[in-house]
Amino acid sequence: MSIVTSMTTGVSEREANDALNAYVCKGPPQHEEVCLGLFTLVLTEPAQAQKCYRDLALVSRDGMNIVLNKINQILMEKYLKLQDTCRTQLVWLVRELVKSGVLGADGVCMTFMKQIAGGDVTAKNIWLAESVLDILTEQREWVLKSSILIAMAVYTYLRLIVDHHGTAQLQALRQKEVDFCISLLRERFMECLMIGRDLVRLLQNVARIPEFELLWKDIIHNPQTLSPQFTGILQLLQSRTSRKFLACRLTPDMETKLLFMTSRVRFGQQKRYQDWFQRQYLSTPDSQSLRCDLIRYICGVVHPSNEVLSSDILPRWAIIGWLLTTCTSNVAASNAKLALFYDWLFFSPDKDSIMNIEPAILVMHHSMKPHPAITATLLDFMCRIIPNFYPPLEGHVRQGVFSSLNHIVEKRVLAHLAPLFDNPKLDKELRAMLREKFPEFCSSPSPPVEVKIEEPVSMEMDNHMSDKEESCYDNAEAAFSDDEEDLNSKGKKREFRFHPIKETVVEEPVDITPYLDQLDESLRDKVLQLQKGSDTEAQCEVMQEIVDQVLEEDFDSEQLSVLASCLQELFKAHFRGEVLPEEVTEESLEESVGKPLYLIFRNLCQMQEDNSSFSLLLDLLSELYQKQPKIGYHLLYYLRASKAAAGKMNLYESFAQATQLGDLHTCLMMDMKACQEDDVRLLCHLTPSIYTEFPDETLRSGELLNMIVAVIDSAQLQELVCHVMMGNLVMFRKDSVLNILIQSLDWETFEQYCAWQLFLAHNIPLETIIPILQHLKYKEHPEALSCLLLQLRREKPSEEMVKMVLSRPCHPDDQFTTSILRHWCMKHDELLAEHIKSLLIKNNSLPRKRQSLRSSSSKLAQLTLEQILEHLDNLRLNLTNTKQNFFSQTPILQALQHVQASCDEAHKMKFSDLFSLAEEYEDSSTKPPKSRRKAALSSPRSRKNAAQPPNTEEESGSSSASEEEDTKPKPTKRKRKGSSAVGSDSD
Amino acid sequence: MNGLGALPVFIKDIKAGQKNLNVVFIVLEIGRVTKTKDGHEVRSCKVADKTGSITISVWDEIGGLIQPGDIIRLTRGYASMWKGCLTLYTGRGGELQKIGEFCMVYSEVPNFSEPNPDYRGQPDRGAMVFRLALTRGDTSLPMLVEAVAGDLATHSSQQQLIIKQS
Repeated sequence: MSIVTSMTTGVSEREANDALNAYVCKGPPQHEEVCLGLFTLVLTEPAQAQKCYRDLALVSRDGMNIVLNKINQILMEKYLKLQDTCRTQLVWLVRELVKSGVLGADGVCMTFMKQIAGGDVTAKNIWLAESVLDILTEQREWVLKSSILIAMAVYTYLRLIVDHHGTAQLQALRQKEVDFCISLLRERFMECLMIGRDLVRLLQNVARIPEFELLWKDIIHNPQTLSPQFTGILQLLQSRTSRKFLACRLTPDMETKLLFMTSRVRFGQQKRYQDWFQRQYLSTPDSQSLRCDLIRYICGVVHPSNEVLSSDILPRWAIIGWLLTTCTSNVAASNAKLALFYDWLFFSPDKDSIMNIEPAILVMHHSMKPHPAITATLLDFMCRIIPNFYPPLEGHVRQGVFSSLNHIVEKRVLAHLAPLFDNPKLDKELRAMLREKFPEFCSSPSPPVEVKIEEPVSMEMDNHMSDKEESCYDNAEAAFSDDEEDLNSKGKKREFRFHPIKETVVEEPVDITPYLDQLDESLRDKVLQLQKGSDTEAQCEVMQEIVDQVLEEDFDSEQLSVLASCLQELFKAHFRGEVLPEEVTEESLEESVGKPLYLIFRNLCQMQEDNSSFSLLLDLLSELYQKQPKIGYHLLYYLRASKAAAGKMNLYESFAQATQLGDLHTCLMMDMKACQEDDVRLLCHLTPSIYTEFPDETLRSGELLNMIVAVIDSAQLQELVCHVMMGNLVMFRKDSVLNILIQSLDWETFEQYCAWQLFLAHNIPLETIIPILQHLKYKEHPEALSCLLLQLRREKPSEEMVKMVLSRPCHPDDQFTTSILRHWCMKHDELLAEHIKSLLIKNNSLPRKRQSLRSSSSKLAQLTLEQILEHLDNLRLNLTNTKQNFFSQTPILQALQHVQASCDEAHKMKFSDLFSLAEEYEDSSTKPPKSRRKAALSSPRSRKNAAQPPNTEEESGSSSASEEEDTKPKPTKRKRKGSSAVGSDSD
Repeated sequence: MNGLGALPVFIKDIKAGQKNLNVVFIVLEIGRVTKTKDGHEVRSCKVADKTGSITISVWDEIGGLIQPGDIIRLTRGYASMWKGCLTLYTGRGGELQKIGEFCMVYSEVPNFSEPNPDYRGQPDRGAMVFRLALTRGDTSLPMLVEAVAGDLATHSSQQQLIIKQS
């Protein structure tokens, strides 16, 4: 720098330029000296920056490479130490570099973006976020040239949007970020696809911003409008996120520290490091969003070598455990859990790495002893995420979680899952849920022996380890101490409980003192009054006053959360008691909704939905809901029971959207689940209105139906059946009933019978659900088979029904088909004979059928001639000793003859008894068309049998014709004949 | 960096009475501030390297700048016993310089500043004064010494005392 200064001060620009140029010409070291000198001047002397940059551009002979490298180095290593002027100048310089389109400036931009810390809304960080965004927006055309920069910028700012809310300045920044991301996502979706599944994760977090809501609609309904190559959300969810994106949301300093912890710090020694990290990066409420970035980074990027894995270095799961336990809000906790399991949901062993899914299973395994609540909440999450992540892809998510678990066992991360899933330390209901969802992992082949992971560890080491486990998250307490939430043991227990895992009812004195101090004086007085008040009426009055005060204009909304905590504590008894009166009458119902808590609901019902008080009350409810999930079904009850709320059931939708869950379906399912756990009577009571008011959410939900039928008794079932028949309740619709019944096949016997009874109470034609037959295996689904059999016997057979029935695979013990055929023989013999004839003729092509099986996409095509014949033969045997003369009907005999004529010898042998029936018929009648057909068909067939090789050729040649046959049977019959004729000609 | 070019020592090798110490450590805890009579702020900080931990007494405003997790190089420090505990000080012309943070492996044990029976044989500062007093044959001093050792006199007055005595 001094060299540069000496050459440029006190001389004219021209001279200075010449001097610099002359010096630079001397050689590379001099060139570097001058470049870096000018660079330093740019950073430290804002007044000269313009001129120095121009000089720099003139003298640089390496396309600014030296400068770019230096910038990257400074950003990665020294950014935190730079003075504010230098930072400003650095931004200025990068802007100039971008403007001049210097090669490599995109790299610098990306390094710059990495400096923007997640979860940090301090002025400097916001300034940086905004400055870099401005550069990218101003030079948008240039940005579009680099696909990696597009993806990285979208990833960065999508993530940052979440942090930017509250003040007007932040809102303005957020809007810029939203516009920027949306425009890139919409125009360059292909580039953004490169990010992988974490793009979906980030989009989920911003989904409630209107612009993104629209984008989501397109992603789900019109993926092609975003990019012709985009086939839908599944495509994105199935691609693993590249590490560079996961890494880009950590500043170099965070990255260094985390890597240090996972590579150098010994297990048991981590506490202080965690404290330091926490103090620096995770101590504010705004910083909670960073936890997900850290967890995703640890799962996806930090993959220690085997050497480290087998050493006593701090394992990844312990860090995750720490990050989970120190979460201070439920939202952060559930996001953190999602981040932890994100690679599980669509896990595929070929594409994904075991290292990505390992931390979750290990943190569950290792927390069982010292912190069973963590294991429980994670297992609970793992079960619930399957149906709740994205209902249309439930099957994929289930598959993903199953593959993860399988892979974990295969790779011996854990030898058996049973000790984890079926552990006495877990809540009984949780275990039941795990058994239900993961039966194959719950039974241990040998007595449950805790198998240690990674390495063989001696017993002594084992003890040592568990000591450390005891202490490994102990800092959780310390970290909580200055948080809003109280810190006594009760409070801590609550932290870990995200979903209402049933708590044991322990009467404890209501203690709200920790909250009271945080309340405004007037509010505090009222809450105290509420606490003291013993009769309901007085309490209601006070409650109304509290509500009024909340609605006053100068109310500080920060207080909502504390107020919610108070109310939650005060009304604890209310949440434990019975909701529905013993005897349901109009009076008793009206009386039951007179509780002080319900005053909030009443106020809500009386308001206009678009006014601000309404949303304020919803906020209060949302806060309450976070602390007391039962309030959800209480609201449902209130809306049904109270006269004041008549016709206002849709308020619940507004409520659901105001909660952290943010979505009606999830919220409804969680509330019904909570209701199911607490009070079955209430569940039945609510069922009709839920189905009536929210048909879109309920009628398609096998989950909800299962929830109901899993707990009701026969009396309650009868009650529901009556509701259905009286027209008060519709639980099934034509378009979704089949799907739900298919889902029900995995349920308990009584649950299945309930489902069928409820179905039968509706007036849905049986035809709608006949296709379920393809899913029914005679050994596994006796409930559905018998229900269906009994229903079929009441129907007149249609061709479709007969086809479905005949499509069942033949098994000596499976008498379903024979039973129903026999019944139809007795009652509708002519109709059945016609259908069978037509099916026999349509499917008259033994070898080809087999081929088309493979290629056919439709399961309906599974009907084969052999199957039909076999079923008929069984029927014949069954009818032998009766007077039934089904097989003597003309259509059957015609069809059999027709088939026999084209059959190969093996089948002729196999079904000789059956065919012999037809032979007699042939003797007794001679019809011209029949003999013609016989002539046309039998001769090539016999020739084929003589010459085997050409036969196979012909088969493959005509397979396409036989495929067509499935869909258009009648016209192709002729075609088939034609093709076989061609085949015989070529012989 | 440091004028005398002394090699850095590990905490385990620090003995009372050593001067011109050059030590690199990570700060674990910062104790409460105490004020001396003449208005100096003094903080006792627990610091460690991979060989163990020790207490360092940090004077005046620099103590307010230090944070747990800082990696610091001490130059021209010295060690002595205070209240029976081995303690590290910044000497004249010495300094504390932050050279990094977080990324240093340490071991909290052994804590060399714990009152250790092994050190009992070594001269405590109080005892030193006492011995000096005895050698001088000054009979009024034992009283003073008792006062110093008993009434936890501030570090600076002790130091002054020593200087006066020697």
